[in-house]
Amino acid sequence: MTSLKAIAAPRFTETRQFLDTIRTRVGKVVVGQDVVVERLLIALMTSGHLLLQGVPGLAKTLLVAAVSKTVDLAFARIQFTIDLLPSDIVGSEILDQKTHEFRTHKGPIFTNLLLADEINRAAPKVQSALLEAMQERRVTIGNQTYALPAPFLVIATQNPVEQAGTFELPEAQLDRFMLLHRLGYLTTEQEKEVLRRNAALGVRRDGKGAVARTEFDVLGEQATGSSDQLVRAMEDVQQVHVSEAFLEHTVEIVNRTRKHPKLNLGCSPRAGISLVKASRARALIHGRDYVLPEDLFALAEDVILHRIRLSYEAVADGYTSQQVLQEILSEVAR
Amino acid sequence: MAALSRQLAVLMLMLGSLLAQARDQRTATVGMRAYLEQVVLPGTELQPAPSTLKTPLVLRVLKTWPHGNALRYDFEWVGLAPGSFDLCKFLVRQDGSAVTDLPEVMVEATSTLAKDAFEPTEIEPEAPRRLNGYRAMQIAAGIAWGLGLLAILFVGRRFRKKVVTVVSKPTLADRLRPLVEAVVRGDAETAAKAELERLLLAFWRARLNLEAANAADAIVAIKQHAEAGALLRQLEAWLHMPTPPAPTDVSALLAPYRSVTAESFEPIAQAGVR
Repeated sequence: MTSLKAIAAPRFTETRQFLDTIRTRVGKVVVGQDVVVERLLIALMTSGHLLLQGVPGLAKTLLVAAVSKTVDLAFARIQFTIDLLPSDIVGSEILDQKTHEFRTHKGPIFTNLLLADEINRAAPKVQSALLEAMQERRVTIGNQTYALPAPFLVIATQNPVEQAGTFELPEAQLDRFMLLHRLGYLTTEQEKEVLRRNAALGVRRDGKGAVARTEFDVLGEQATGSSDQLVRAMEDVQQVHVSEAFLEHTVEIVNRTRKHPKLNLGCSPRAGISLVKASRARALIHGRDYVLPEDLFALAEDVILHRIRLSYEAVADGYTSQQVLQEILSEVAR
Repeated sequence: MAALSRQLAVLMLMLGSLLAQARDQRTATVGMRAYLEQVVLPGTELQPAPSTLKTPLVLRVLKTWPHGNALRYDFEWVGLAPGSFDLCKFLVRQDGSAVTDLPEVMVEATSTLAKDAFEPTEIEPEAPRRLNGYRAMQIAAGIAWGLGLLAILFVGRRFRKKVVTVVSKPTLADRLRPLVEAVVRGDAETAAKAELERLLLAFWRARLNLEAANAADAIVAIKQHAEAGALLRQLEAWLHMPTPPAPTDVSALLAPYRSVTAESFEPIAQAGVR
């Protein structure tokens, strides 16, 4: 039996070390979210945006902060609320009282890693402003257009439980996210490990007083990776071989979502592109310089599920999008 | 005095003109109204005689005025059948006395149709509507509704089932064999090779009883199986690796799958998964 190590591509050694460093560093503060860390790395290396769906308290913010500090990337967080304005994100022109001239105040979007917390709580015009920037990677303030820093990655979160007072992202805007990952609860052992680590945090002295340390305090300020290494990793992803047979599999899956009788809306061509891009990054993370059908099947749920919509009849019959997607993936191999 | 005589003269003139305008329609077509006015008839007051279904003429007294010892009448008449009729035959005295002393007042109802062209039918007495049977009608409507519902629920489904039985889908084995042959011959297109890979995945998914498992988990489990894992890795090297470490002998690799049957897809014991 040929092991993964045996077929690992030697030319990506440096990138693999870089990725291992990130995973180790993140693993020190975040327990049991290996898959979401992998998805985050995929998003980072492919310049795709990531939407994380999960209930509060699953270490989403901690995870993104850990990755940004590890790779030495600028990080900003915006808590989306109903009264947020587009200018609160992209920035605005303000009148300088001293010079009596307008000065551009750049918003928090001018960062490398932006965490848009609870994106579905903001009004649609705010969501549009962010998603437009995500697509074009530049924003216009007044008459001036500014390019966003590179890399620029949005990691948005939404809570699937509390739907009161939220604005559901429309399909066209969901399509801008390369991946939508649904975070689950930890296993019993992982949860115990979280409690053990939390119990050992202690307090942090602050002047004459002290505050209880949090997981954020554990994150070292010193980055272990550099943006150059990230750029190298991004270039390496582009070197991952995609076979014609793999493209056949991808197109087959995407086409089946468009023809499935239980679906009203199938995947856009962007879904196929995202599947290939994400598969290349996953292959690299797993030490390969070529993609395999297993990458496709592993990523299908995160890439496809938010791009399909069930028909009225399927909803009435009690089907879920997950069930239909699994049906499609099973039929592909039938 | 002179003014009064002038007024009387004017009144007389007006009366004269009214008399001059009196209608004297003695001929009319069947069914049309006609008027005879200012007809002076002797004796006590007259009224139309009661009519029957057979009466050929309908007569109505519109107005009556005293006229010396006699009375002056305005009549309206409608002929129901063609012919000449004496209007006085259709009058009776209000006091019930005989009408023998009346002069003839002849009118004529003419027909626009040719003779014998049309004979009115006898009016059939209409049977009274049924007042009972509402309960029976409700029961009948209920049965009809129930039958309609059963037809909607079952007739279409039966039809669809029939269609399913008529269209026979090729089995996985039927689809796998020609692809294996094409690959062994070396004339398989990329699409055929990709489908072969998917069908071999399906083959092992069925054999290892992984059909209910998540697709991603199933592929991991298949790779852990000694025989299936080796096959898949060699297939992957052949199909997906840019530079395979060693050339793949596809004919030898696919030899066991050249004669697969539907039974070959039956699940094997899970003990095979290592």
